[in-house]
Amino acid sequence: MERRTPQVFFVLSLLALVLILAAAWQANTPYWKVYQRDFHKLEAQGEPNSLTKAAVLASPPVIHQVLLTGLQRVDRCTTCHLGVEDPTMKNAPQPFRFHPGLGPHIPSKFGCTICHGGQGLATEKSDAHGNVMFWQTPLLAKDYIRASCGRCHKEGDVPGVPELTEGRHLFETQGCRGCHKLNGVGGSIGPDLTTEGASHRAPEWLERHFLTPNAVSAGSAMPNFHFTKEQARALTYYMLSLTSEDMGSYYSSVRLIPSAGHGRQLFIEKNCIACHNVGGVGAKTGPDLLGVTKRHSPGWLDEQLVNPSLVYPGSTMPVYDLETNARKALVNFMATATAEDAQAILSQRSKTLTPEDAAIEAGRQNFARFGCVGCHGLQLQGGVPNPNAQGGEVPSLLHASDDYTKDEVIAIIRNGKVPPTEDRSKPAPPLYMPSWRSVLTEEDINRVADYLWSLQKKKDSW
Amino acid sequence: MNVIRDVWQSIVRRDPLSTDKGKSELVFLNLWLHIHPAKVKKEHLKIKHTWYLGFITFFLFLILVTTGVALMCYYRPQSPQAYQDMKDLQFVVFLGRFLRNMHRWSAHGMVVCVFLHMCRVFYTGSYKKPRQFNWVVGVFLFLLTLGLSFTGYLLPWDQLAFWAITVGTNIGSYAPLVGKQLRELLLGGHSVGESALLRFYVLHVAVLPSAVILLTMVHFWRVRKDGGLSRPVWKLKQDQAEALVTIGVPGDAPALTVTTAAKDKTYGLMEVVTGKPIFETVTAEEEEDVVFSYPYAFFREAVALMATVTTIMALSLVWSAPLEELANPAKTPNPAKAPWYFLGLQELVSHSALLGGVVAPALMVLALMAVPYFDTNPSRRPADRKWAIRVFTIFVAINIVLIIVGTFFRGPGWALVPPWVHIVAGAE
Repeated sequence: MERRTPQVFFVLSLLALVLILAAAWQANTPYWKVYQRDFHKLEAQGEPNSLTKAAVLASPPVIHQVLLTGLQRVDRCTTCHLGVEDPTMKNAPQPFRFHPGLGPHIPSKFGCTICHGGQGLATEKSDAHGNVMFWQTPLLAKDYIRASCGRCHKEGDVPGVPELTEGRHLFETQGCRGCHKLNGVGGSIGPDLTTEGASHRAPEWLERHFLTPNAVSAGSAMPNFHFTKEQARALTYYMLSLTSEDMGSYYSSVRLIPSAGHGRQLFIEKNCIACHNVGGVGAKTGPDLLGVTKRHSPGWLDEQLVNPSLVYPGSTMPVYDLETNARKALVNFMATATAEDAQAILSQRSKTLTPEDAAIEAGRQNFARFGCVGCHGLQLQGGVPNPNAQGGEVPSLLHASDDYTKDEVIAIIRNGKVPPTEDRSKPAPPLYMPSWRSVLTEEDINRVADYLWSLQKKKDSW
Repeated sequence: MNVIRDVWQSIVRRDPLSTDKGKSELVFLNLWLHIHPAKVKKEHLKIKHTWYLGFITFFLFLILVTTGVALMCYYRPQSPQAYQDMKDLQFVVFLGRFLRNMHRWSAHGMVVCVFLHMCRVFYTGSYKKPRQFNWVVGVFLFLLTLGLSFTGYLLPWDQLAFWAITVGTNIGSYAPLVGKQLRELLLGGHSVGESALLRFYVLHVAVLPSAVILLTMVHFWRVRKDGGLSRPVWKLKQDQAEALVTIGVPGDAPALTVTTAAKDKTYGLMEVVTGKPIFETVTAEEEEDVVFSYPYAFFREAVALMATVTTIMALSLVWSAPLEELANPAKTPNPAKAPWYFLGLQELVSHSALLGGVVAPALMVLALMAVPYFDTNPSRRPADRKWAIRVFTIFVAINIVLIIVGTFFRGPGWALVPPWVHIVAGAE
């Protein structure tokens, strides 16, 4: 043995050398290098100049990445997907094919994972496409990709994605918030949905869950809403679009073209027409905005939007605290605004209400917004099954004023209520009235009660 | 030319090897030949006497320092950059994944080897006089190893790390009076967060390694001074064994009558120091069993080193260190488990927080430290210390069983679930 020790040492050292070379070889031959070489060959194919051709073929392998600093994201997808921005690669094989129909959403500015999901940091196919353990957001299937639009376009109609609008509408009207929290508002019976889009939940799972909640989640307390297939798809889209990442404001801060459409939206949001008019349509408190861009330079207008009283001392126009691109968008809108458009905007505004009507309307909106209808029904008819509660279902609210005084109802909303059980030996009913004290103000609660009583009056008058 | 010779001279600090003085200085001025004795007994080198576990532990520590320093170049102890840096190591840093794998597997290996080393020392009775204190130093090194592994566990900042550290530090908070405060001091807050990450990083890369290096030096120095590596003295001839058992007691004059001064042969300072040596010496009868440290001990150690390195490299090439999703304080995995070496503790805690989380581990550590002082039986022969061996074996077995139960048999809600039962991941 003693004599062989140096030999063993030698062999082991050799083995160590081999292993480290193997590790270096493994590290030095990632598959993306093969892809890049293939891409350079593809690029060089149609190149007549032999010098350029040689240069293209000899370009060194490099990792391409899109840094989205504001989102803490790094997308290295373009390391392999080299042709996404190159229209000449329209018919190239994957992973080099051109990405058509992107509009302003250029990958080099917007990244890829924001819409497609997957693991942007990765440089190997299976890792990058996210079909690995412990990566929450694998690549979204083709059918569901458009759901991602809703991650930035959180308001209004998203062109080409009616499902999102429908999904949002369903969420707010079907009373989902009664059990689910979204951005801090809602009940706590079901899971919080604020970051549902980043929860590693397969879209197919969501869709089946909406059709029959118990089919994929045994013992789920969620009632069956009997959604149609389209509605389930719409809700799935909406769920997939929910993330806590503030993508919208990040992208608008790096937005390339502040569009007039965005400006119009701001115009409506900020209620400019309450003071201004366009070609005489609207209020007369402020100046007419028709042709304002011809009378003033864009710089002047921008300054005016930053701080109105600086340009016109004594101006009554409030400071709106708009970011650069929002101001540019507004100016762009003003350049195209017409009297007809102003009329359209004006007619969309809800008509004025009496203070009493307004309170009841606010109560009705609360009722829908905070999700009461989820359990008590859109027509307040109740009827959602609640096993082992007395009556076996959530009570109807149509007769609230027969059974309770207004103060009692206000107390129930404020403090919540556990429904009386039918059989003490069985599990407690899954649904209960949560306490709304921390969510609704006293005023809000009073309005909801007003709303319930207003319904009662209607019934009496029948 | 003189300059070159002078520079060379200043580096090697010895006369040319052509002179006798130069030849002896080659040995006297050599660091390695001071950590080692000039000559060692062949028995010291036998694999099955020590299994080289102490060496392997030390070599794993060397790998950890080397790879750790390299990893530090790519790591920021911040949230969520820490996790992103892990991903970058995995995907874009040249050899990054390999380095991280090596670091991770060496860390686990070091915990295992340090424990096995402790078992070996116990079973061979090597903690006995005069090595009692070195055993205590060893126990501290064991605790430091656990500390290093535990602090390193948090750094990837993934779900695995976050919750393991949350659970691990919760166990510590069960200590009466100071538990909560200690936890807060360690975490820099009430829960695992960014300040905890920074504190664990500082502990992991500066405080604990320095402590380990210092104590390792003491540990090695004491081994050297207390007579070198362990060997089964009870297998020696009866008279020699008796002599060796009693040797090493300064001031106990009668005990040192084994050999006459003429037969005595010590190395190094023999012409300068007069009087009787207080540690094991090489007797003339044993002369034939002795070999020079260089090359025999050196080469064997080098083989152990290369075997350790190649094993870790081979593992790292085929087996990647785990990295789960980004740490999410709002999403508790069920069950949340501490690092594997604390799962025995977690298992105990699941039965009783105070007894399992505080009393039992404290008693275990104290008992370990007290071993050499309570076990006053001078004999190292296994046949003479049946009870010590039985008690220790039970201690080891209980620990291993608890860790296995905690690792493989505990499912959601810490319910007893055998590993072969697949729980179909149901949605909540």
